[in-house]
Amino acid sequence: GRPWSNPEAQEDPAHLSKSRLRSDLVSHNVELPPAGSKKEVYLKLHLEHVDQGNAAGFSSDEDDQVLYAPGGDRVDTKIPDPTALSDKDLKDLLLKYGVKAGPIVASTRAVYEKKLRKLLQSDGNEGLNEAETAVLYSDSDEEGEENGDLEDEKESEEEKERINEALELNQKQCNEHLQEPVKNILKDLIPEAKTTPTGIYVTPRRPIKGAAQRPILYGYPDTPVSPTTLERRDVERRLVPIYVQILVFFIVLYILYFISINV
Amino acid sequence: MSTTSQKHRDFVAEPMGDKPVTALSGIGETLGKKLEDQGFDKASVVLGQFLLLKKDTEMFTDWLKDASGANSRQAGSCAQCLKEWCDAFL
Repeated sequence: GRPWSNPEAQEDPAHLSKSRLRSDLVSHNVELPPAGSKKEVYLKLHLEHVDQGNAAGFSSDEDDQVLYAPGGDRVDTKIPDPTALSDKDLKDLLLKYGVKAGPIVASTRAVYEKKLRKLLQSDGNEGLNEAETAVLYSDSDEEGEENGDLEDEKESEEEKERINEALELNQKQCNEHLQEPVKNILKDLIPEAKTTPTGIYVTPRRPIKGAAQRPILYGYPDTPVSPTTLERRDVERRLVPIYVQILVFFIVLYILYFISINV
Repeated sequence: MSTTSQKHRDFVAEPMGDKPVTALSGIGETLGKKLEDQGFDKASVVLGQFLLLKKDTEMFTDWLKDASGANSRQAGSCAQCLKEWCDAFL
């Protein structure tokens, strides 16, 4: 029979809202009738253009899912067009994304379509099988969080590696940078002292601490460095360089002098 | 949270009855006209839409922005005022 003689059919165009018919027409690139047109006009256009493909199937109730594939199949497709979904499918799909949709009626449909589109878009950027897991677990909120945690872990690991690399590079550069001036300072302080070939154990801070003999004491060339030494060196590297200390000292001296002559 | 407007307090203070849409905070003459054109002539009709969206202020804000061309502040203000009205009278 004719489609509108079948009130039971879920996808019966006669039971769709006017705006729904209109959005269907738009999604099928059908030219819309003038704004004030009655629902019948939309319905006719809908039947002519949108339902052409499966017009024959409308005699049976079971075929009403032909035009709109069931939710499960929809999820597997790359990005389903929310406007092409039935109200029920739209609701199911939203539920799979953890959104408990209210009644989908003419005035709310557009809002939910937009919401779904947003969800689909944000989902497309994340994992590929999010949709699959969403099918298996209706509570996709937790799933998303878990995924997020995993990604976070991955990211933090990557970051650690990056930091380590950066540290190593920094260390090398600092070693190269420190060797020469340190040697010079040492030579100035203790001219007869033997300088180590590597210069590794000589740091700018030792002479200041008054342990003038230490560099020589610990000056075994090519000794493998213990982890604690490495750590200590790392810490020392972050301390203020000696020339900055001297500079600050002179600045303070100058300020004190300035104050003293002004009082 | 920003302070609420006089309009907001007036609306939340009593049952909405047959108040026009423009009684809603954030909805002025222009937005009210646009809403009326779409059939939302009373504040209660807008409340109906708010309830259909399950009192979800975010979704309601989205809808109001689309439907009336309200900006985020106006839509947020309207959603807030409907939510508080619901808390008080529903």
